[in-house]
Amino acid sequence: MQSLVTLLKRPLAVALLAILVLLAAGELLSPGFASWRQIVSMVTIAGLLGVVAAGQNLVILSGHEGIDLSVGGIVSFGAFLAGNLMQQTDARILPAVLAVMVITFAIGLANGLGVTVLRVPPLVMTLGMFGVVKGGLVLLTRGIPSGRAAPLLQAAVIRPLLLGLPGIVFIWAALGLALTLMLRRTTFGLSLYAIGTNERTAAVAGVPVLRTRALAFGLSGLLAGLTGILLLGYTGNVFIGAGDGYALPSVIAVVIGGTSLAGGAGSYVGTMAGAVFLVVLQSILTTLSIPEFGRQVIYGLTLLALMLIYGRQRRLRG
Amino acid sequence: MPDTARPARPRRGRLLTQRHPYLLTILVFVLLCGINTALQPTFLLPSVAVSNLSSFLPMTLVAIGQTYVILGADIDLSIGTIVSLVNVIAATIIDSMGGSPLSIVLGLTAGLAAGLLAGLLNGVCVALLRFQPIVTTFATGVVFAGLALWVLPQAGGQVPPAFYEAYAGGVLGIPTVVWVLLGGIGFGLLVRRLRFYHALRATGGNIQAAYQTGLPVARVRITAYVIAGFFAAVAGLVLVGETASGDPLVGASLTMSSICAVVLGGTALSGCVGSFAGSILGAFVLGLINNVIFFAQMPFEWQGLVQGLIILAALSGGVMMARGRADRT
Amino acid sequence: MPVLAASGVRKRFGEVVALAGAEFSLGAGEVHALIGANGCGKSTLCKVIAGATAADAGEIRIDGETVRFTGPQDAVASGIGVFYQELSLIARMSVAENIFLGREPLRRDFVDRPRLHAATAAALASFSAALADAIDPEAQVADLTADQRQIVELLKVLTAEPRILILDEATAALDRDQVQTVFRCIRELKARGRSIIFISHRMEEVFDIADRITVMRNGVTVLSTPTAETTREAVVTAMVGAAATARTAHARHRPGEEVALLAEGLAASRLAGVSFVLHRGEILGFGGLHGQGQSEILRALFGMLPMRAGRVSIGGRPYQPKRPLVAMRRSLSYLSGDRSRNGVLAIRPIFENLVLSLLVRDRRLVVARARLERLVAPIVARLKLKFSSYDAPVTELSGGNQQKVVIGRSLAIAPAIMLLDDPTKGIDMQAKEDLYATMDELCAQGMSILLYSSDDMELLNVADRILVFNAGQVVAELAGENRTEYALYHAAYATGGALADA
Repeated sequence: MQSLVTLLKRPLAVALLAILVLLAAGELLSPGFASWRQIVSMVTIAGLLGVVAAGQNLVILSGHEGIDLSVGGIVSFGAFLAGNLMQQTDARILPAVLAVMVITFAIGLANGLGVTVLRVPPLVMTLGMFGVVKGGLVLLTRGIPSGRAAPLLQAAVIRPLLLGLPGIVFIWAALGLALTLMLRRTTFGLSLYAIGTNERTAAVAGVPVLRTRALAFGLSGLLAGLTGILLLGYTGNVFIGAGDGYALPSVIAVVIGGTSLAGGAGSYVGTMAGAVFLVVLQSILTTLSIPEFGRQVIYGLTLLALMLIYGRQRRLRG
Repeated sequence: MPDTARPARPRRGRLLTQRHPYLLTILVFVLLCGINTALQPTFLLPSVAVSNLSSFLPMTLVAIGQTYVILGADIDLSIGTIVSLVNVIAATIIDSMGGSPLSIVLGLTAGLAAGLLAGLLNGVCVALLRFQPIVTTFATGVVFAGLALWVLPQAGGQVPPAFYEAYAGGVLGIPTVVWVLLGGIGFGLLVRRLRFYHALRATGGNIQAAYQTGLPVARVRITAYVIAGFFAAVAGLVLVGETASGDPLVGASLTMSSICAVVLGGTALSGCVGSFAGSILGAFVLGLINNVIFFAQMPFEWQGLVQGLIILAALSGGVMMARGRADRT
Repeated sequence: MPVLAASGVRKRFGEVVALAGAEFSLGAGEVHALIGANGCGKSTLCKVIAGATAADAGEIRIDGETVRFTGPQDAVASGIGVFYQELSLIARMSVAENIFLGREPLRRDFVDRPRLHAATAAALASFSAALADAIDPEAQVADLTADQRQIVELLKVLTAEPRILILDEATAALDRDQVQTVFRCIRELKARGRSIIFISHRMEEVFDIADRITVMRNGVTVLSTPTAETTREAVVTAMVGAAATARTAHARHRPGEEVALLAEGLAASRLAGVSFVLHRGEILGFGGLHGQGQSEILRALFGMLPMRAGRVSIGGRPYQPKRPLVAMRRSLSYLSGDRSRNGVLAIRPIFENLVLSLLVRDRRLVVARARLERLVAPIVARLKLKFSSYDAPVTELSGGNQQKVVIGRSLAIAPAIMLLDDPTKGIDMQAKEDLYATMDELCAQGMSILLYSSDDMELLNVADRILVFNAGQVVAELAGENRTEYALYHAAYATGGALADA
């Protein structure tokens, strides 16, 4: 019994439990909610959020009040760029993907350099970068969305591969595995945890603090760009501002998954659960045909309730 | 380990920019006024100035409110939605009660009360329940946005001409918007001389030390959020006068603008350093940048990018201004 | 009736027991010294009295009535004022604002800035004679030197005129004249019936100012006596426990002639120009009053501080200490006793703490768990480090064992030269002895050590040679027979207004 209680205190367990509760409640209130097809659909959408949240996870882990508010713009940017480079041609998928990943990595790296070299707080830097990326996107599109996904990409993302699960779910799972391995079994991962836990100690231990942090931001940009490509595959074409709604939910997903906003503790698996939870929550609210305002209120209140479990900070009194 | 020797008397220049970190912002402001005048010769006319002030005012008020929260080393991501909520509450009450003088009084009072309560909710969650500020105020922001939609699902409603004409007009020859701004400035000057202000800065600077000194840190942080709610409410009411109607989405972009304005004004996100005066200037600078871009008649597709780059550069500058030596307590 | 009485106070922080039934009693108009070795609980007891920490059990009585503080504000309201060792100043606020924080003079509910400035100037005046540079009331605390900040914190406490004053290491960064000024203030307070709790590790000061002495050890009170009725030896014995055993001179290899590290004209931060030679297998000690540049040399050698001038060569080859990684690749390793800054990564597992430096230095991409465990096992054994599993969080270990993990991390890269920056600050006797033994073993195998210690006895017992620092320069070198307390203090206090010779 004692071990059950300690298990329940782990954020991942709480998140998974919450998902199950929501699924059960949804099924009760609207039969068919927890049908396999619906679950697949929800996991697919969660995948999109999950990939962005992966980058956000790295940035938050790196400490120093790390946060990346530019991811929304980078998602849109990535989708647009990929679409325009691909232009419905299968053969152009690979170069398009590579180009997007390089460019979005560079944008993320710019964030990282602003944070490490210029010492601009991450909130401010990424907020400013968001404006720049959006402005750049308007410039390139002249306000008119363009670019279409290549059929192969669309198939890869949405066509059911196994058990009715579309390709994106497997891509996400592979990413999850890769990221978890990276965090736990590579020097970079350990360095990331170290600088998030105690920057000075990490520096004394020889960890290249600034380089590691900048790299985390670069990866965040890259993963946001990747999300854009997947989003393009999912919707076929993209509109400006498609990615805007990803930034803050990605932060919430990370926090729900057990990563502390102070850095140094947390895992990506938890974040994946957090992303699923947020999507399931949104789905329930939509299914119950509660009007928009009600959905928003419940969404916000649920987050506040979760903060009771996750988000409480240290007491001042010892 | 005691630190290395440092002079007891800091260089003159540094002392000045530390005590008034917005001096550089004043320079930028003057520069922007110059550019504006060059691009739009009528810029310095009183009527044009008032018109500009009118459009900058909501953002300025929100920036002032946000300053107090940030001085305490917190942040309020819900402030824009409080503006929306107050806006629709006031507009709806005034409209549904037929626009009588009573309805106006009721509407304004209810709006203010809503703003104060919203601020109180934020403060209690962050200071008493010790929730993390970023996620928490985002969540409350979503709740406030939802409530705003509930009160008024779509922009509309009508406000009596007497109201918006009074807003557009003036008292004693001075336009109403100027009075509101003066009110905000007066508030700032008053609060700066209260013990509360010192306590707020101390809480933002080093909350542990402030706590050990015996300061009521939780109460101080809650008060800061309530002040933010108050200014958001005033902004919401001002917008009722401005647009003569209610709009549940009116405040959507104000949150991020307020943060930009605060940083531009030399206030540090880490707390303790900064002032409301800087934030007012920062808001004006932000507004003037938009003006410049508009009047420069840049091709429409370039505007967003140029604006983004300027703001990014300005934010970095603002951060450098607010930076001093790292805390060594 | 005692003005303040604490009885049966207990407090634990996780696994660590800080207080195990402490007793303390303070009379009116009394200066009462509270002393003990690091970790004995004196600071925790004071934090409980000051309301900053909640005790698990026990009672605090003021004027005979039990009090329950919910926070520091209650203690302040009861007339308790505390000088905190870590200082409770706000760096980006001015001296005046800090001194009167929470008590700013008012005029009709508004802060009266001119009066604030005047009151601060008046308070500072009492210290003006003892300060090299006058402190400007409008200066930011962040721009002050360490002793100036300590004076500001003192004034912050003194101007509040508390009934009960707790001074926790209030004289740590002050020179002799400043200390005497503080004592004058204390005596004035005493004359007005106030009571003072005085915590200090400087025995001379304790015997100078205190009326009573209470000694704590391992979270309990072991001795409480009027100063006049006791001696230094009795007090030290109470602090340490069993009669301090004379340290056996560890049999060790005589240091060779081969030069491990040569430094010429090193200048960094407040270091003026330091030259020395470190031989293979030698423990070279840096001594003198703390804050004279000893720590700065070590940090500069490890690439943590920029070097203004000078040349260093290791094993005959030139060495540019650009950053810690570079230093590690030249076989240097750094260890500090300041655990909050250079300690363990608290929430991470023991394994990660041990292997981090090794991974970074060798540019390993992947963590090869088995191989690393094999590499680290002998170090764990040598340090006598016991833990439940490699994956346990490092915080499950006691303070002394956490320090061993930090040592383990340094040793894992098999350094040829270790830079030890006050490594035994705040760890218990047994852990200290273990560390000395390890140092001896390693030197016997050819490692060289640069050791800075704020504990003079430790330095005298452990080091082969001692360089005495004063004002950023080496003023004396003690070797062989010259390694005596007298010689050390004489060289350390030779210039400047410092404490008198022992």
